[in-house]
Amino acid sequence: MHVLVVEDEQELRDSLAAQLKAAGFTVDCAADGVEGLYQGKEFTFDLAVVDLGLPKLSGMEVIKQLRAAGKKMPILILTARDRWQDKVEGLQAGADDYVAKPFHFEELLARVQALLRRSGGWAQSVLRCGPIALDSRTQQVTVNDTPIELTSFEYKILEQLMLRAGEVLSKTDITESLYEQDFDRDSNTIEVFVGRLRRKLDPDNVIKPIETLRGRGYRLSLPRATA
Amino acid sequence: MRARSLSTRLLISSSIVLLLFFGVTVLVFDAVYRNLSESFIGTRLDLQVANLISASDEEPGGRLLPRDTLSEARYATVGSGLYAQIEREDGDVMWWSHSLTDTQLQLTTRLAAGKRQTRRMRLPDGSEVQALSVGLEWQFPRRKTYNFIYTVAEDLKPYRAELQHIRQQLFGWFAGLMALLLVALAILLRWVLRPVRQVEQEIEAIEAGRANELHGDYPRELAGITANMNALLRAERERLVRYRDSLGNLAHSLKTPLAVARSLASTPQLQEQITRMDEIVRYQLKRAAMSGGTGLGNAPVDVKEIIEPLCAALTKVYAERRLDLQSEIEPNVRYVGDKGDLMEIAGNLLDNACKWCRKQVKITVRTLVTPGTRREGIVIAVEDDGSGIAADQRERVLKRGARLDERVSGQGIGLSVVHEIAHLSGGGVEIDTSVLGGCKITVRLPAP
Repeated sequence: MHVLVVEDEQELRDSLAAQLKAAGFTVDCAADGVEGLYQGKEFTFDLAVVDLGLPKLSGMEVIKQLRAAGKKMPILILTARDRWQDKVEGLQAGADDYVAKPFHFEELLARVQALLRRSGGWAQSVLRCGPIALDSRTQQVTVNDTPIELTSFEYKILEQLMLRAGEVLSKTDITESLYEQDFDRDSNTIEVFVGRLRRKLDPDNVIKPIETLRGRGYRLSLPRATA
Repeated sequence: MRARSLSTRLLISSSIVLLLFFGVTVLVFDAVYRNLSESFIGTRLDLQVANLISASDEEPGGRLLPRDTLSEARYATVGSGLYAQIEREDGDVMWWSHSLTDTQLQLTTRLAAGKRQTRRMRLPDGSEVQALSVGLEWQFPRRKTYNFIYTVAEDLKPYRAELQHIRQQLFGWFAGLMALLLVALAILLRWVLRPVRQVEQEIEAIEAGRANELHGDYPRELAGITANMNALLRAERERLVRYRDSLGNLAHSLKTPLAVARSLASTPQLQEQITRMDEIVRYQLKRAAMSGGTGLGNAPVDVKEIIEPLCAALTKVYAERRLDLQSEIEPNVRYVGDKGDLMEIAGNLLDNACKWCRKQVKITVRTLVTPGTRREGIVIAVEDDGSGIAADQRERVLKRGARLDERVSGQGIGLSVVHEIAHLSGGGVEIDTSVLGGCKITVRLPAP
C-alpha cells in the first residue's frame, strides 16, 4: 500500500514515514502543500496523510484541489487545531477522517487501515475471500484456518488484491503501491511474486485464487465473505 | 421597578404643569368675572332706584306714588324678577310693584334718611334676590318733610345662569386648549426623541442579529454614544477573531512538537507525561477560545446549518460502524451567540455519543424560552444506546479531564468543555438515561 505523507515538521514526517514503513507501507513524503499537491496529482497513492497547517499551500486547499483533480484515495487529516469547525471543514473539503496531534502512532495506523479497508468496500478488519483470511492488524494470513508464512512483498500483493477483491489490478497498479517513486521498477518481479503467492496459498492448485487476465493484470476472484 | 421611559416622564410632568397652570388661570378668571357681574348688578339697582325716585309724584297726605308713565314694564308683570316698593318711615307702604304679587318677598326695612342698604334674600322657591334700599327725606309743600325708603330688588337667577354659562365656556376652551397643547407636545416629543428610539431599534436589531452595528445619522448629543458603541462592538468581534487565530497558531506550534516528542518517546512514563501535557494544552486552549459572550453583533446562527454538516462529518468518520445518526431539529431554530461555541458543544457531545453507542445516536434541538427576555435560547439533547453513565459518576465526568474508561480513544475533556461553555452562557448540563438505553446529555443555552 502506497501512502503519501504531507507534513512540514521534519522530525514528525521522518518518524511517521519510518513507522509506516515498519508497518508494511510504501511511503513518499512531501514537506509543504505545493509539493504535496504535485505528488498527489502526479502519482497514484492508496492513501494520503495531510497535515492541515502546511507552508505555501494549506492542507485544506491541498485536499480540495486533489479532489477537484479527481483523486479518490482516502485522505486522513492531521491537525493541531482541534476545533470542530476545522475538523468539519476538512471533512467537507473531501477528507475522510482526522487525527488530532499529538497522536499515538497505533491510533493513526488503525485509522489508516480502516480507511483502506473502507475504500476497498470492506467493513471489518479481517478480510475473507473464500478460504483465505487476511488480518490487516496482525498481518496474519490463513487458508482454511491454517497460517501461511508470506514474505513482506507477497503479503503486500495479497493485501492489495484482497482489498480490491473482484477488481482487476494492472501490474502498474501493483508496482506503484509497492515501490517508492524513485525506485527502479521491473514488472517481471510482479509475475515472480504472484507465482510464489499462488504456490503458497494453493499448493495443490484447487482454490485457484488469483486469475491472470492477459494484458490487463490480476484479479482475486474468490467471493468476499461479508461476516 | 423599571425606570419610566423618557417620553412618559416628559408627558406626565408637562401634563401636571399644564393642569396647574390652567387650573389657576381658570380660578382667577372665574373670580374676576364674579366680582365684575356683582358690581354690575349693584349699578343696575342704583339706576332703578334713581329712576323710581325721579318718577315719584307727591300725593296729598304726605304720600309719594310713581307716576303712571313709569316706563319699566317689568314692575307690572308678576314674577318678572324685578321688584320695587316705596315705604314711609312710619311703616306705611305707599306703593309696591305689581310684580311682587304672590312672591312673599318682604322688602320692608328700617333705614334712616341718606343711608343705603344692600341685602340678599332667599325666596321660598329657592331663588335669590339682591335688594337695594335707599332712605331719603322728601320735603312736601308747606315745609312738611317725611322720610321714605325706596327699595328695588332683582332676581339673581339670570346672572347666575350667565355666570354658569361663561364658566362652562371657559372650562371648555381651556380644556380644549390643554388637549391641543398636549397633542402638540406629544408630537414634538416624538420628533425630539426619534433618534433615541432609533438607537433603541438598532440595538434591538443588533441583539436579534439583524445588524452588526448602529448605522443611523445621530444628533451631536447621541453621536458620541453610538460611535463608541460601534467601536466597542467592532473591537469585541475583532478581538475574538484575533484571539482565536493566535490560539490556533499557539495550538499548532505546541502540538506539533508534542507529536514529535510522542513519536520519539520510548517509555510509557514519557508517553503518559505527553498525554497530560496534551490534555492541559487542549483544555486550556479550548477554554480560552470560548466566547461565552453576549453574541451581540453576531448574526444568529441557523442551528441546522451547524448540526447537519457535523452529523455528515461524523457519519463519514464512523462510516465503518454504520451508525444510525438521527437529528431532530426544530424548524428555524436559531442560536444567538457564537458559532464556534455551538459547534464545540454539538461536536463534543455527538463525538462522545458516537464512540459509546452501539448503533443509535440522536440529537434533538429545540428553542428555550426564558421569561423576561426578548431572545430565545436553545436546548440541545444528545442520546445514544450505549451503556450510559452511572448516576454516581455523572458529577465526576463533567469535571476536567475525567475519564471513565480508557478503552475508547479520545479525550476526557469533551464533556468538561461542554460544561464550561454552557456555564459561561448561563446554562447548564444534565446527564440522564435515554429512552434509547444509553446516556442522554442535555445542554441548556439560555439567551444571553
